[in-house]
Amino acid sequence: MKFTVGWLYPDLMNIYGDRGNILTLLKRAEWRGLETQLREIGRGPANDQMEDVDLFFFGGGQDREQALIYDDLKQNKQESLQRAVEKDGAQVLAVCGGYQLLGHYYQTADGRRFDGIGMIDVTTQAGKKRFIGDVVVRTDIEGLTPMSLVGFENHSGRTFLGPQAKPLGRVLVGNGNNGADKTEGAIQGNITGTYLHGSLLPKNPQLADYLIGKALTRRGGGALSPLDDSAELAAHGWILQRAQRR
Amino acid sequence: MGLRKTAAVLAGKTTGTLSRLTGRGGGTTLPGDVARAIDPKILTRLTHDLARGSIVITGTNGKTTTARLVSWLLEGAGYKVVANRAGANLIFGATAAALNKAGPDGKLRADWGVFEIDEASLPKAVEEIQPKATVVLNLFRDQLDRYGELESIAKKLERALATLPETARAVLNADDPRVAEIGLSLPDRPLWYGLDDPSVASKTLPHAADARTCPKCGASLIFDAVYVGHDGVYRCPNKDFERPQPELTATDIELDGFDSLALTIKGTRIEMPLGGLYNCYNVLAAYATACSLGLEPTYIAERLRTFKAAFGRQERVEFRGRHLILVLSKNPAGFNETVRSAVDQAHGKNFIVGLNDRKADGTDVSWIWDVDFEQLKDRAELVIPAGVRAYDLAVRLKYAGVKAEAPQTDPAKALDLLIKHTTEGDVAFLLCTYTAMLDLRAELVRRGWASPYWET
Repeated sequence: MKFTVGWLYPDLMNIYGDRGNILTLLKRAEWRGLETQLREIGRGPANDQMEDVDLFFFGGGQDREQALIYDDLKQNKQESLQRAVEKDGAQVLAVCGGYQLLGHYYQTADGRRFDGIGMIDVTTQAGKKRFIGDVVVRTDIEGLTPMSLVGFENHSGRTFLGPQAKPLGRVLVGNGNNGADKTEGAIQGNITGTYLHGSLLPKNPQLADYLIGKALTRRGGGALSPLDDSAELAAHGWILQRAQRR
Repeated sequence: MGLRKTAAVLAGKTTGTLSRLTGRGGGTTLPGDVARAIDPKILTRLTHDLARGSIVITGTNGKTTTARLVSWLLEGAGYKVVANRAGANLIFGATAAALNKAGPDGKLRADWGVFEIDEASLPKAVEEIQPKATVVLNLFRDQLDRYGELESIAKKLERALATLPETARAVLNADDPRVAEIGLSLPDRPLWYGLDDPSVASKTLPHAADARTCPKCGASLIFDAVYVGHDGVYRCPNKDFERPQPELTATDIELDGFDSLALTIKGTRIEMPLGGLYNCYNVLAAYATACSLGLEPTYIAERLRTFKAAFGRQERVEFRGRHLILVLSKNPAGFNETVRSAVDQAHGKNFIVGLNDRKADGTDVSWIWDVDFEQLKDRAELVIPAGVRAYDLAVRLKYAGVKAEAPQTDPAKALDLLIKHTTEGDVAFLLCTYTAMLDLRAELVRRGWASPYWET
């Protein structure tokens, strides 16, 4: 079976170790004997690049880079991405900037609104203080073991969920979406958004497998065979332990 | 005024002595803190005493080595130099260094000040020190949790350089697109330097490249040569921007592991005991600075032959015939180069890779996923993930396909393991972030293999 990961703007939206997420998805699929393919989707017309992608990854960028992809996302990618996700059942994992851009809008400190592509029911506004530090979340995804997710956040945006989006989890340590309602991330249909990097998937292999599994359902994939995750879970556990000590 | 300055100097100097006597480190920044509390203008007053003036060196990677090179060149030419040598590169560190060399009358009797300054502290440093020359080496992503994004650092540097006195010279790396953008915005033409040797270049940018788009039109830059990180020879496809033509270029580069490098600058052949392509940039920057201060090329070449590296920068430690080479590696661009030099040129087999997440290292360790540890795959024989975040490194190495030992958060155990597997006559590399290096080095000092860093 083939597993294709589509990386949106790998050259510009890659700020917080996003490659860790890509490597984790690819390696964990390869270790199960799947044939993997990485499609790097840069600026310009999407053409047919997005049609056979099973899982899209959309990372965060620096402000300057984010401004450079903003128009391209709407002009060249929005339509194909919507088709791939809503019609063809592709999955999306979006982190930080990518997460914000998939929502309805981002409102700056002086009240200007930048429309996102509205694929998930979230809105973001600029906050004064930047949230920086370790995050521990208890996920709402059923059947995930362990139920904790660990990561690192570094964002000033405050994201609030609308009724159609469900949180990825509840914040135990750190700030998450907005520092106020204890939610972190969002899940809506095939889209998962989050502020967690660190990188996210290497230390949360259960979430990586969950996403790969869901992405492969449309290809008729069954349950993924178990892997030796002792190294990944040791790193995961180390963060949990330190968080408890603090 | 004079009294306040003298009081500040005395208080600062006493703090430094006490700090060394009580074994709380080298007294490299605290004295500056104390003196500045008494006289906030103390650094300006002290650097004003200098007979010739000051040089300020900034950039993400290479500050310490370049500053040390410049000091080495000035000292060899008979000048008395004041420098913040131990990597204490905030304004307090610069102040402490000046204090240390000031006399009991509060006067600083020296010719030149050579200060390496943290990128974020440059505006303050330029304002207080009023340097004769300011060197900007490069701008790479580094400690995003502390510095914020590259762009905000670049903007700070831009503002700082714009306020330079008219008599001051900006010495800039033309090969770094973001540094070039800053330089092109200045009223006076900077002294540009760059590498020019296709034989050591690659064609593709590494993953962690940052400044890869045209500042005018936003198009992706075309790189005709990539040397280190996103430093190379580049141009905008729409002809809106290109690498400024450097006045000084390094050609005919020869690299021999961490042992030596050779290059030619305007017909002068330089050979010296320092390794790695990234050090070619540092040598070139120091050469350019020295030339701008009036030193002769033949003298520079002669003097560089006998240069010694700074703490944790290719420092060598010997233990029962085993050669340990310590190389500070603190961000993706730096790490990629130290791994590349260790594997490609020095044929290194045994490694400790150390990662801490204290404030000085950056508390966010995501960046290890931007480092091409894949270079170690099937080539390194022993890789020990070490430091506070050894467990994260172990995962990174696993996904890079590198067979690694169990994570060692205790530096003593990491060293024991390394020594056990390194036979007499062999070389082992310690590639670590800043405080991970301090921890390992403290253990080396404890065992009597290395001397405390402020003595080197």
